[in-house]
Amino acid sequence: MSKQQKPELQVRRFSKGFVWAHAINAISFLALYITALPMYTEWFDWLYVVLGGPEMARLLHRIFAVTFILPTFIWLIFDPKGFKLWLKELITWKKRDIQFFAEFTKELFGFKSKHVKQTFFNAGEKINSILQILTAIIILGSGFPMWFPDLFPSAVVQWAYLFHNIGFGLAAAVVVGHIYLSVIHKNSRPGFTGVVTGKVPARWAKEHYAEWYEEEVKKGNFPDLDDPKQNKKKGA
Amino acid sequence: MAAEYVKYVDVTKCDGCRACMVACKNWNDLPAEPQDFLGTMQSHANVSADTWNVLTFVEHENSKGGLDYLFRHSSCYHCSDAACEKVCPENAISYTEFGTVVIDQDTCVGCGYCVQNCPFDVISLKEYKDKNGKEYRKAHKCTMCTDRLEEGLQPACVTTCHTGAMEFGGKDAMIEKAEERVKEIKDRYPNAMVYNPEGVGGTHTIYVLAERPSVYGMPENPKVPTSAVLWKDYAQPIGKMMIGATTMAVVGAFISNKLFNKEGNGTHEDGGESDE
Amino acid sequence: MTNHWSDLQNTDCALIMGGNPAENHPISFRWLTKAQEKGGKIVSVDPRFTRTSSKADVYAQLRSGTDIAFMGGMIKYAIDNELYHKDYVVNYTNAPFILKEDYKFNDGLFSGYDEATRKYDRTTWAFETNEDGTPKQDKTLKHPRSVFQLMKQHYNRYDVDTVISVTGTPKNDYLKVCETFCATGQVGKSGTIMYAMGTTQHTVGSQNVRAFGMIQLLLGNIGLPGGGINAMRGESNVQGSTDFALLHHLLPGYVGTPTAKPQHATLADYNANETPAAGYWSNKPKFLVSMLKAWYGDNATKANDFAYDYLPKGNKNYSHINLFKAMYEGKIEGTFLFGTNPVVGGPNAGKEKEALSNLKWLVAVDLWETESAAFWQKEAGGNPAEINTEVFLLPAASSYEKDGSVSNSSRWMQYRWKAIEPKGDSLADLEIIHVLVQKLKELYKNENTAAARPFNALSWNFGEGHHPDIDLVCKEINGYDLKTGKLLPTFGALMDDGTTSSGNWIYTGFYPEEGKNRAKNRDNVDTGGGNYLNWAFAWPANRRILYNRASADLNGKPWSKEKAVIWWDAAQAKWVGNDVPDFVPIKAPSDPGGNNPFIMLKDGVGGLFAPLNEGPFPEHYEPFESPASNVFSSQELNPAVEIHEGDFNLKGDASKYPIVATTYRVTEHWQSGSMTRNQEWLSELVGHMFIELSEELAKEKGIKNKDKVIVSTARGEITAYAMVTKRFKPFIIKGEKVHHIGMPWHFGYKGYATGDTANHLTPHIGDANTTIPEYKAFLCNVRRAD
Repeated sequence: MSKQQKPELQVRRFSKGFVWAHAINAISFLALYITALPMYTEWFDWLYVVLGGPEMARLLHRIFAVTFILPTFIWLIFDPKGFKLWLKELITWKKRDIQFFAEFTKELFGFKSKHVKQTFFNAGEKINSILQILTAIIILGSGFPMWFPDLFPSAVVQWAYLFHNIGFGLAAAVVVGHIYLSVIHKNSRPGFTGVVTGKVPARWAKEHYAEWYEEEVKKGNFPDLDDPKQNKKKGA
Repeated sequence: MAAEYVKYVDVTKCDGCRACMVACKNWNDLPAEPQDFLGTMQSHANVSADTWNVLTFVEHENSKGGLDYLFRHSSCYHCSDAACEKVCPENAISYTEFGTVVIDQDTCVGCGYCVQNCPFDVISLKEYKDKNGKEYRKAHKCTMCTDRLEEGLQPACVTTCHTGAMEFGGKDAMIEKAEERVKEIKDRYPNAMVYNPEGVGGTHTIYVLAERPSVYGMPENPKVPTSAVLWKDYAQPIGKMMIGATTMAVVGAFISNKLFNKEGNGTHEDGGESDE
Repeated sequence: MTNHWSDLQNTDCALIMGGNPAENHPISFRWLTKAQEKGGKIVSVDPRFTRTSSKADVYAQLRSGTDIAFMGGMIKYAIDNELYHKDYVVNYTNAPFILKEDYKFNDGLFSGYDEATRKYDRTTWAFETNEDGTPKQDKTLKHPRSVFQLMKQHYNRYDVDTVISVTGTPKNDYLKVCETFCATGQVGKSGTIMYAMGTTQHTVGSQNVRAFGMIQLLLGNIGLPGGGINAMRGESNVQGSTDFALLHHLLPGYVGTPTAKPQHATLADYNANETPAAGYWSNKPKFLVSMLKAWYGDNATKANDFAYDYLPKGNKNYSHINLFKAMYEGKIEGTFLFGTNPVVGGPNAGKEKEALSNLKWLVAVDLWETESAAFWQKEAGGNPAEINTEVFLLPAASSYEKDGSVSNSSRWMQYRWKAIEPKGDSLADLEIIHVLVQKLKELYKNENTAAARPFNALSWNFGEGHHPDIDLVCKEINGYDLKTGKLLPTFGALMDDGTTSSGNWIYTGFYPEEGKNRAKNRDNVDTGGGNYLNWAFAWPANRRILYNRASADLNGKPWSKEKAVIWWDAAQAKWVGNDVPDFVPIKAPSDPGGNNPFIMLKDGVGGLFAPLNEGPFPEHYEPFESPASNVFSSQELNPAVEIHEGDFNLKGDASKYPIVATTYRVTEHWQSGSMTRNQEWLSELVGHMFIELSEELAKEKGIKNKDKVIVSTARGEITAYAMVTKRFKPFIIKGEKVHHIGMPWHFGYKGYATGDTANHLTPHIGDANTTIPEYKAFLCNVRRAD
């Protein structure tokens, strides 16, 4: 197998701000998910016992709702450039993004696939982000009237329940995929390490995000992996 | 399965004595809730967690130009298709064998979903403090004295009603009685009607009204909120399916990956520290 | 009540006037609703549109204090349209009787009036008699001095337009009421009149009731099922308390209290002057002597006039207003208040509170510390340091904590059993009295003074110790045959020779033999006609419908099948039916007096003409405080009422106080509220003192719903919330708009539901016969509080 014997050449992919933001967001999401599950379906009623009862579950849910919102601001404040790039990329869609999906499907199920050149975020990540943003808006927008029903007309509160529920279903589905791809699927695993440490193996980065990598090489930020000298030098 | 029972309320026989309110508090041991002066003889603006039925008083200038002073015993309707039961995330609300809708106080977590979705606005939360000073809430409403029904008694309000404005009996018989009564009073009250709204599958409190429901502040066409139907009958089951399906897809992908990876051995996705 | 609650289901028309049973006697509506289901009508006549009005088929508004004008017009309507029951009127009333020539009525005054004493000499109000002393009659009713013709002449002045200019009733509504109720004059129909304090609490209260009696006699409604005059008692045992001599001028069983005058000097004098020659009251000496035997036992002997001397005899008016006036003037040393709260319930209550502070001692017996028991406290607005009255508060047991009976409006004596032990130190009233008497007897034991002798003679054998045996009390009320020691089966067995005893003759027979207390009867099977003869015991003799002989015609046959109660069964030679006959059971219609259904009256017939203190026919006079002058005569106020001058009863003038005010009760509170305002579930239902007023008056005064307002009268001011309602409408009186307001009188500063006391506003003036205060019509003004 292609196991590396020598320490991998690493490049910085994510800023510290993003790393923290993502971590808090991810943990909050997970906590929200777990505290909501027993409310959502009786299959998980046993979780109440773990969580210290339904009232405690609801209290935790509200606390994590706040921590879930915080990271957006952390990222915005500590890494405004990264945040802007993210937003920009989300609205930039090209032909290669479409091609990505065909290849991605093959890769997902372990078939042979080739890499379509991608920018900082690949099309899959962009879809993930967009879905996350949408579901977050749905969940947050509906969660607020649910938390403070006295501030809203009852029709708004009634519809909020529905949208919170829909948002939950969507978010859960998206996150399951997201986590699978980043944590479990072996080809994406460096992405997970990357989001935790901020750094990813240079080769992996070049393969997955060729366009971005090449741009950074041009800027002189990253080594050119095709240059054997470089390879040797770094690897030594 | 016991026979289905309903509470029959003929408001045209009600004289507004409010014995039903006191009987309710007495049987259910509910505390008094002193109110500000409301400017009418009505004591409470609406039912609450500690006041499960309220006698409403309406001064209404009728179609004949005369004055009607209308009284109505208002409390939980015990819908056949109860929105509260539908939306309760803890399954704390259930239908009894008598057709009444009750809240299990042990299971209720005070989330208030039932309060928000009741088309009749008859459920309220009550705040409590446990011995550690921690606040918690429970939803309350009229139980139709289900505890009495279980002992073969009638609801306390019905038992105390002296004019026969309230009766408790088999559903069909009571509906028939209501329809007969409406015929009797049509001369005096041309808008008289039976109130047993379809939108909630009929109720277990059936009214003979002298006027349109809106005159009494009742919804003309109450129904289970569309949002609640979409939520509980569609969104949540589909959501559950989706969680299941996504999980299955991931599991499938994982297995398939293991299988095809061995066979193919062709990719060089080699960045991961997979064996660590 | 001549009839009873469950009999209301038999009525074709219930005229409810001066009462609001839907709110104050709700159980009546159980039966009225049944009547309505059978096609019966309810007519509500009230200054305000009440919950009773909302249930009624016909509603008519009238200005407070104009009932006689209203009823006088109805009497005229019935006569003019010949809607009265002629056979009944001719045979069962004194309509055909001929009055003496010197009977006169002129400008609001009957003959015999003395302006200085404000009293009538009644000698001219008498019938011409035959040689045997019976009244002369003209059965054609045509004689110009027949009662019928004089009545017709008297009420001829009460034409519809004049009446409604006084009462402020819309004409159509007035005619509808007359038409609907007078329709019960037909044979086969019956109508009932239900009233309460809205009728009696006026300077003409007694005459208001008389007017009801007249219309009921004209329509032939007395003695019939679904008929009668039915006073709805405001408390579970008011009937019982008056039966048992709560009123100052009566001994138990409605035997008049002897007074300090030569006519009452001895028992023989009293009997000679107070015993009618005919009618059942001719047995009065038997009732009185039997009562004296019950009270004084072996100490009452023929030789000592059966201890008649021991009955206290005064010559004053000892009614509520007069007692408080005497107290106000410092003439009374001490007072017992047994379950009464005059600081809230009495008229001109501010003055009554002041009066209490002139006492040396006050004993208050109640479930809670009432405003009267606490009149000296700072919260009551006084300075405790300046009040020298020593107050004792004795906690009393509630009805659930004691055995005993209550007699309801239907005259049913119903026994009640103790449910729980009294809380704390509280005792039943009976125990409190028992201990008090024991103590007094102990203190007087060795004395031989005028004060001590009645106490020493008093027979008080209800058991030793602090707990009297209530069964012995019951038996004493029923009475014994003293020769055999057995209980008496009926008051027919009472004697005036000292061989029988009875604490209250009208109840004799309720405990006819050992172990058979009929007040404990609880058989709810209808024995016929809704009379439930085996439920409780109705005085007298378990009769449910008084004067029921009048439901049958001159041959003893019911006037109609629909309204049958009793009838003469020739085969058995006795009266039979579904009630106990209010008649000698074996007296045939053809016997002498066999067609005299009103057995309590001397002439055996109903009195269309019947003297009271202000005259033999009800005549309209304006209330003490009135917004308008009297259109019927130059007599503004009832000429026979006693007027208290000075600061004890200030009078307001219409120029300063143009608004008519009245007081009433709500369902949730009881009387002065001392029981209900201490009950949280009732206090939350009506928690605030309020006044009701029309949208029109509110607009004129700039008052919005829920505003705080100040109501003022010549006697005082109170603050209350405003309830602006469509149920109040201004009146048009003699072409002028007159506003009115109403308010509950339950509030005081004690308990959960507190508020200002309405009776700070009411006047100290009473009816000419009973001195019941005029709570129901007085003048006020209203303004916003801020």
